[in-house]
Amino acid sequence: MTNPTDPLLRYRPWKGELNPPVYASLAMARSSLRLLFRRKVFWALYALALMIFFFFFYAQYLVVWIQQQAASQTVSVGAVPVRLSELTKFLDKLNLNGSPHTFGNFIWFEGHIVMIVLAFAGAVLVGNDFHHGSLPFYLSKPIGRRHYVLGKLLGIGAFINLMTTIPALALFLQAGLLYEWKSYYVDNFPVLLGILAYGLLLTVVLSLLMVATSVWVRRTVPLIMIWSGVFILGRTVANFLVEVQNFSPLWRLVDLWNDLYLIGLWFLQADFGSNNLGSNPEPWQAAIVVTVLCLACLLYLRKRIQAVEIVS
Amino acid sequence: MTPLLDLDNLSRTFGAHRALKGLTLRVPQGLVGLLGPNGAGKSTLLKILMGLIEPTSGTGRLLDVPLGGDRDTRDNWRLRRLIGFMPEADALVPGLKGIEYVALAGELYGMPRKQALRRAHEVLTYLDLDEARYRAVETYSAGMKQRAKLAQALVHDPAVLLLDEPTSGLDPSGRDKMLNLIRELGSLHGKSIIVSTHLLADVQAVCERVVIIAGGELRGVGTVDELCARRDDRFRVRVGGDKSHFEDALKAVGIEMILPTAATELRVVLPPGRTTLDLFRIAAGCGASIRAVLRDDVTLDELFRTATATGAA
Repeated sequence: MTNPTDPLLRYRPWKGELNPPVYASLAMARSSLRLLFRRKVFWALYALALMIFFFFFYAQYLVVWIQQQAASQTVSVGAVPVRLSELTKFLDKLNLNGSPHTFGNFIWFEGHIVMIVLAFAGAVLVGNDFHHGSLPFYLSKPIGRRHYVLGKLLGIGAFINLMTTIPALALFLQAGLLYEWKSYYVDNFPVLLGILAYGLLLTVVLSLLMVATSVWVRRTVPLIMIWSGVFILGRTVANFLVEVQNFSPLWRLVDLWNDLYLIGLWFLQADFGSNNLGSNPEPWQAAIVVTVLCLACLLYLRKRIQAVEIVS
Repeated sequence: MTPLLDLDNLSRTFGAHRALKGLTLRVPQGLVGLLGPNGAGKSTLLKILMGLIEPTSGTGRLLDVPLGGDRDTRDNWRLRRLIGFMPEADALVPGLKGIEYVALAGELYGMPRKQALRRAHEVLTYLDLDEARYRAVETYSAGMKQRAKLAQALVHDPAVLLLDEPTSGLDPSGRDKMLNLIRELGSLHGKSIIVSTHLLADVQAVCERVVIIAGGELRGVGTVDELCARRDDRFRVRVGGDKSHFEDALKAVGIEMILPTAATELRVVLPPGRTTLDLFRIAAGCGASIRAVLRDDVTLDELFRTATATGAA
């Protein structure tokens, strides 16, 4: 007697329409995100990122509430009467007033978490493809090498946006609700576009840099060293040269994170006169540095991925 | 019936090095073994078949789809959709579960997401990996890894399977399992399969046809039965007693001996007019005893050695 499950165990043919190769990039992006969110060790960093978001979210609410409803009131701290508006002075540096600097600062802080995760995740997302020979798995399929790179960039880009752009948009939405929402959204429409542009900038630059460095060194420890070099050593050197040695502010261009921040503020149409941005290069100068870096990453990726042997 | 492979004077050079030298062959659909020593041009041929590199000259078709063209063109993607490639390298994606790995392969081939997932379940069940489908692929044993690699090649139900060293690193039972799968896919499910391997026994076990290339040239093509011809004049003789006297006596009457094999065995070629009875007579005359006389047909191993060492088989 035939078992009713027998046909399920046999090989069965498949017929259907196949999608164009760009869908393969989307599948790769999804699997990259899956790999990123599967690592339990990263969840501590995600929690930290969420804390930063909640800090901005509630602090923005608190500042506006105090300004609008209780600015003239005083409370006793110990035995000393303090005006409520004075209590939130320490938040002034963050410009929690729905201005372009609010979102610039938020992305600046969130970006640090993104950088740490990416430094750790580079080997998982890209390095392993080279180190464990997974690349023939991808490139033997009916896709081009550009679809492989696009898939990886999309995955990393989606992660960066989840951590920066989307929470920044939520803060923008909240800011509007805290003020006269209609006039806020209309007057600050360029800020909304600036948030999207800043997110796009981070997506392009960080994903390209991450894929390129991961293809180069492949393993986690060297990757962390390189990312620390780019983002921490770069800043230390820039500060030393400009603030201690009194070199030209142009030397701040070696600090890539600062370059991205300056371009981001430019997108947000922030006032460069405020927020102690005086001794910085012009945003267009930062844009040149970032563009050159991106082109270098693209050229390097093209060279390395062209050289991959699928059948060895 | 459309031939599986139809190559006409196909060549490929890399600078001054000629990796393939005017390959002309026509192979019908079925199970084909691609044999050749290192540097023979097998990998170059596989790359051309997958549309990864262009031939320098000549033309070719795989199941009537033309070979050639730049590697990232629509034509080559069409070609690669016909093929399921199982690479020799590990080619797994650490961190993904078996089911995700195979479904991802399906999506990379262009299958819609839900269908890729459903098909991945089917293929893993067929390959006896159903219980391990939710385990990370890097935790698989060698045999399971090979089957997972076969699953990702099979997921879109290709007409042609290109298997690069499919039994590499497997223990005897894993090897038998893999060879049975290959045989079944070819004979029961109508897949054309090209097996590139160094293991001649694997080819002999599963392939109907063999293509032997060496030094970029075609050295032999045909069915395994055609190439491994029966030889009515060659025998393996197991000898007891004084073997050296027996050898001398055989030489004295003009019986040729080839390659010594075991301590108690001789391989002899009988000249016309001689029969195996003569062997018993000679043995009796020199104090030796014959324990067995066995046929000694040309093996694939011997054919391969001859073809790759001298020229056309």
